[in-house]
Amino acid sequence: MSNRKINMKEKYRLLTRDLEWEYSYRDYKEIFPMEEFEGIKITDWSKWEDPFRLTMDAYWKYQAEKEKKLYAILDAFAQNNGQQNVTDARYVNAIKLFLTGISPGEHQAAMGFGHVGRQLGGVGARVACQMQAIDELRHVQTQIHAMSHYNKFFDGFQDFSHMHDRVWYLSVPKSFFDDARTAGPFEYMVAIGFSFEYVLTNLLFVPFMSGAAYNGDMATVTFGFSAQSDEARHMTLGLEIIKFLLEQHPDNVPIVQRWINKWFWRGTRMLALVAMMMDYMLPNKVMSWKEAWEVYFEEAGGALFKDLARYGIEMPAYAKTAIAEKEHISHQAWSIFYNYGHAAAFHTWMPTEEEMDWLSEKYPDTFDKYYRPRFEKWREMEAAGERFYNPTLPMLCQTCQIPMGFTDMEDPTSTFYRQSEYDGERYNFCSDGCKDIFDYEPEKYVQSWLPVHQIYQGNCGGAEMEEVLGEYYKINLGVDNMDFHGSPDEQRWNAWHNLSSAEDKLKQAS
Amino acid sequence: MYQVTVEPTGDVVEVEEGQTILDASLRQGVWLPFACGHGTCGTCKVQVLEGDVDIGDASPFALMDMERDEGKVLACCAIPEGDVVIEADIDVDPDFLGYPIEDFEATVVAIEDLSPTIKGVRFELDHPIQFQAGQYINLNLPGVEGARAFSIANKPSENTVLDLHVRRVPEGAGTGYIHEQLQVGEKLSVSGPYGQFFTRKSAPEDLIFIAGGSGLSSPQSMVLDLLEQGDARKITLLQGARNLAELYNRELFEQLAQEYENFTYVPALDNPLPEDNWQGFAGYVHEAAIEHFSGHFAGHKAYLCGPPPMIDAAITALMQGRLFERDIYMERFLTAADGAEGNTKSALFKKI
Repeated sequence: MSNRKINMKEKYRLLTRDLEWEYSYRDYKEIFPMEEFEGIKITDWSKWEDPFRLTMDAYWKYQAEKEKKLYAILDAFAQNNGQQNVTDARYVNAIKLFLTGISPGEHQAAMGFGHVGRQLGGVGARVACQMQAIDELRHVQTQIHAMSHYNKFFDGFQDFSHMHDRVWYLSVPKSFFDDARTAGPFEYMVAIGFSFEYVLTNLLFVPFMSGAAYNGDMATVTFGFSAQSDEARHMTLGLEIIKFLLEQHPDNVPIVQRWINKWFWRGTRMLALVAMMMDYMLPNKVMSWKEAWEVYFEEAGGALFKDLARYGIEMPAYAKTAIAEKEHISHQAWSIFYNYGHAAAFHTWMPTEEEMDWLSEKYPDTFDKYYRPRFEKWREMEAAGERFYNPTLPMLCQTCQIPMGFTDMEDPTSTFYRQSEYDGERYNFCSDGCKDIFDYEPEKYVQSWLPVHQIYQGNCGGAEMEEVLGEYYKINLGVDNMDFHGSPDEQRWNAWHNLSSAEDKLKQAS
Repeated sequence: MYQVTVEPTGDVVEVEEGQTILDASLRQGVWLPFACGHGTCGTCKVQVLEGDVDIGDASPFALMDMERDEGKVLACCAIPEGDVVIEADIDVDPDFLGYPIEDFEATVVAIEDLSPTIKGVRFELDHPIQFQAGQYINLNLPGVEGARAFSIANKPSENTVLDLHVRRVPEGAGTGYIHEQLQVGEKLSVSGPYGQFFTRKSAPEDLIFIAGGSGLSSPQSMVLDLLEQGDARKITLLQGARNLAELYNRELFEQLAQEYENFTYVPALDNPLPEDNWQGFAGYVHEAAIEHFSGHFAGHKAYLCGPPPMIDAAITALMQGRLFERDIYMERFLTAADGAEGNTKSALFKKI
């Protein structure tokens, strides 16, 4: 008898792979019916290398400790009226966007990994997916708990999950995850496990978490750190799935490349929401979206794709377009939301003079030339009591579901526009990337639930905006929506701080 | 400068003042698990066995209090405050024999010109050395700061000598000394053996060795060792050099190829001179490998040794021929100047 201490690898093997059994009276294909239809060829699941070695017993111990720490800080934040100590009330709109747009995505990811964790034939991969499913569930719960405190003092938080299934801009992240979850198990893993959790995750979490830290929001910083400590496993799982698929069979390479192209593009489109949050919604700026993009995609992603080139994988198609868009995307997205500020469940506003100067400095080639004049005009209109709201409904991109407001990067003054015909109907796209995705699987995307189409078809509560926004979306009209200036959020904030307006508060602070 | 010993492999990493353990390890070719690189994810958690470490900016969620109490640190933000021994979640190869590192007094007994830029130096040791073919030693040279690493070119059964192949690095202090000042009879201090580059003898696959420049040393030792032990697997050595004068020890391998049916020798010159009258493969050594194996490498174990660009090109060739990281072993010949480049590294590969 050897009394050697079992090492991590062996312990993990015993508590995971060793739980597998031989399928003796059912056909393998009957048990894992989804493993082949995507065209992916798996020749040997035993080549799967476990991306992490955390066993369930240790998992519960660690997660329990994280929860204790997190809830202690959340309690302290609440008891100290932490909501009063953020930079200013405009900041809270960034976390309204997070709760309504991102947190439900964590829940979608939990369901997605739960599903995939049943469908993959390899036991190592199944166990890893199940653990990630539990993580994602923890993330959505802790995020809801952390932000429930803000719900007591600010508008727009109350119906986040109802809104997620209905509101026009929330259909952007919702359709992203719906698309991934209705794909096959391997596409889901490349979409969420690799493209999202590995390639783009830093562009989502770092802006929100640093943004929170820079704006005095300890509650959000803390749940961010708590979630990120789980990301280790998510990132290494994403890397293992991509290596495993590429090494299993050469026929997998073009399939994986197509998925990377698709999900990189879908991911960058969704990140337009984060871009505008970073550049426009944070009173104290961390860095510009352009800078974040350069560090986390161009540099880190560049190193990754240099390594992937050895497998014959190329930079995602349209990476060049996405790189060109870093100069424009945040300004264009914020313009869209400012246009439709009456239809959003958070507040919008024009940047202050100081903030415009910051944008000029960060975007010397584009902000003054293309965006400042428009924003100054809107500010003038607001001062004259004619705050601009766009009363029409926008055309949405059939794939990403963002209003068709992004421009041609070759000519930033004209809207980019593509069209495809399928089965006698015309479909519209904001980009070549989105058109390609549609053209490859039109049967899937003709089913998209496009909020504007649904309104016109009478499926959203009625024909009047009040019926759609108020009754169907459950936006508290005149409270959750419209400009920050004059909102109940602003009035409450000013009352807490004895200020007459947010501008005074900024002046006082500087 | 502190030394960090990484268990269970026993690799030793030199860490500069203020440098993190992860950064130093990755730069010196010692792989540790990592992902985020800034203290929030916890992938690079290691156990400190001896010594003091500043835990740096580790997130309290990625490194919890109970773990801090147990002496765990995150390698990506941990900064040593002295010599340290850590234990990482990495595997020890079953073929690694783990011979103890010892100090030797080595006497120069012969210096020869192997090529216009490479000298062969033979040392006699004060006592026998145990090493695995492919491993290296550290050599201390008078007036040169820091030890210099050289792979052992002789086979392990010749345990009282060390054959080293030393290429002259332009403006390199260590190789400059060896090329210009080292004399027969000189005594130097040597320590070793070091390194994780060795033959996986328990693996059943046929073997491919790809060597460039003075990177022939390790493969030479490994091939001689395998043949001496009567290994029956197919062994192919591809040796790359600039021109005919740089292609050293060719006769040795041509003769072995005649003697042993399972050994094949493929020399490649990437820039042969007209007077070389070169009839062999003209091109880079990785291109010779693609031609020799018709672009299919699956089912082999490959061992690469030489300058970084050669290794890089060879890895790409092998992977495109369906041989992947788990079957590729490598020893990069870095010079002091190579360490300076601060390229961002992705976490996709462990060793590459």
